[in-house]
Amino acid sequence: MTLNLTPREMAVLEELAAAKDLSKTGVMKLALRLLQAMDAKVRMGQKLFVEDDKTKEKSELVIL
Amino acid sequence: MNVSAVYLKRGDTGKLVEASLVDEVTDAHLSLWENSWGPVMKVRCANRTSSDKPEDYHWDWRQKAGWWRPLLGYHSFALLCRNELQGLMLASDFRSARIQMQFGKPIIYVEFLATAPWNRPELKKPTRYRGVGTVMMAAAVELSFELGYRGRISLHSLPAAEPFYRDSCKMTGLGADAAHHDLMYFEMTSSQAEAFRQKP
Repeated sequence: MTLNLTPREMAVLEELAAAKDLSKTGVMKLALRLLQAMDAKVRMGQKLFVEDDKTKEKSELVIL
Repeated sequence: MNVSAVYLKRGDTGKLVEASLVDEVTDAHLSLWENSWGPVMKVRCANRTSSDKPEDYHWDWRQKAGWWRPLLGYHSFALLCRNELQGLMLASDFRSARIQMQFGKPIIYVEFLATAPWNRPELKKPTRYRGVGTVMMAAAVELSFELGYRGRISLHSLPAAEPFYRDSCKMTGLGADAAHHDLMYFEMTSSQAEAFRQKP
């Protein structure tokens, strides 16, 4: 398959690839695996939270 | 599904024995767990109190398989020797490293790792085989390299297994994790992984 990305999306992909020390393909595959895992949690009735390490404040992440 | 030849040591003689590492836990492996591993564990722990039973006594691999199997981010491994199941491992590939030098980079996380009851010195002496944990950790490191994670792996250790991860695998302990039942969290860096790979 061919993946068409806008210049902005491509810039983010390149940024993430550098930050995560992965190839662009590696980032896209990781994103797919992560989304599937998170979606499975939500389907099981679980909620996803992010926690501020300093304040311990939690906010819910909504994944469609 | 790939099968690799690996080696375990016999517990009585120390001789090397060829074993098979399978990179997918199948129904056949789960049946072996239910029909041999599970019953032996129950018999050997029959007269023990809850606190004296192995810390993974309650792990139900059949139930765990129900949720990991459809997910791309989970990788399961079964180790067999002479048609007997010797070890099981489940790892995931979408967590981030915590050590400063690799912070935020993707890491292989060992969710569960267990060896069969006949390979545990606290349940059987001498053990049937030794080296199951090392083979499984090597599999996690290789998975990390395959995915481009440069060998980075991590896990939360049950208390009894901490010396193995710290002293044998030379992982870095980052302290007890309050978000994970206060279990000790360990990471292996890329350079530690390279050293682990070259260990005889």
